Amino acid sequence: MSEQDFLAAVKSNQGIIFKLVGLYAADTEEKKDLYQEVLLQAWKSWPSFRGDAKFSTWLYRICLNTILTQKRKQKKINYQERLDEISPAVESTARLNEDSLRLQQAIRRLAETDRAIISAHLDGYNNGEIAEIMGIGLNHVSVKLHRIKQQLTTILK
Amino acid sequence: MSLEKQWQHINEQGDDDLATLMNNPQLNKLTSQQPLQKIKNNLLINMAWGIGIAISYILILIFFPFWQVRLCIGIVFLFTLWAVGTAYKQYKSIQPFVSSQNSLLAEMKRHHTSMMQWMKTQQRVALFIYPISTAGGFMLGGAMGSGKSVEFFMSKPIVQITLLICIAVLVPLAYWLAKWLFNKSFGKHLKTLGENIEELSREEQ
Repeated sequence: MSEQDFLAAVKSNQGIIFKLVGLYAADTEEKKDLYQEVLLQAWKSWPSFRGDAKFSTWLYRICLNTILTQKRKQKKINYQERLDEISPAVESTARLNEDSLRLQQAIRRLAETDRAIISAHLDGYNNGEIAEIMGIGLNHVSVKLHRIKQQLTTILK
Repeated sequence: MSLEKQWQHINEQGDDDLATLMNNPQLNKLTSQQPLQKIKNNLLINMAWGIGIAISYILILIFFPFWQVRLCIGIVFLFTLWAVGTAYKQYKSIQPFVSSQNSLLAEMKRHHTSMMQWMKTQQRVALFIYPISTAGGFMLGGAMGSGKSVEFFMSKPIVQITLLICIAVLVPLAYWLAKWLFNKSFGKHLKTLGENIEELSREEQ
């Protein structure tokens, strides 16, 4: 398939890149770097896409594997009970409503691997698929998800 | 609104930075900033330096007829060839692009292992090559500076002690420097990778 086909496929799934990068980038500069890296990695892996999985799932894996193996800025996130007065950690050119922004900020307070698990869950992947994406056992996904949801509820209260 | 709906809402939004990149991607001009790609580039530079240094050793072996110097430089020359060979093997084995087939845990482990292997190679070089290299350089410099033979120059106890002190100081220093440079470049990243691997693997135990 051509570069145009690739770009068309990525464009129709760009929300995946946007959301995942938004959970890990420390600032706008890093966000742009991660966008670029994900796009490059996906382009380089494109010949290996055989179509036996959905393109969105394939892109999801590329995106997650790229972000979590990339050297990123170490930004300490201070836990805050209330999210009311929190401004976006990544000065965004995106347009998010207040609830979505609060959720994004809450997830950003979780451990890095927990962010990956909960985002996959919220994106509709079942536990078996999440286990495969993450490389851990099915039972552990359930246990982790339960714990992460409790943490999220506390943060969003 | 449920969490899923809030999350989906993010999906529906655009981002101007991403849109700009998508509209003018120039995919073939993008360069990777992945640590493994950087290590691969470093290995290439190391090999080029290694070859240059090996050539300079050959010239020393030809033009400086002191057997002690030739012995040391000869050993260092062989080590340099070994280091270049090792760097080449590592260069070939490093796959800098992420795999869509691997799980996140497997991919993080692969990156972690490759980086640690590179660090170990650098440290091995520091430990094995530098002492002999220091001795060779010391004898060559001493013989050239004094205008005497290496046997005569090295016969004085003070010179022998100085050589031992040089080795004792320079080797740990070089080893520490190699380690420090590696930690400066990749230390925090490796730590984060290690913590994330631990976090996912812990659940498996």
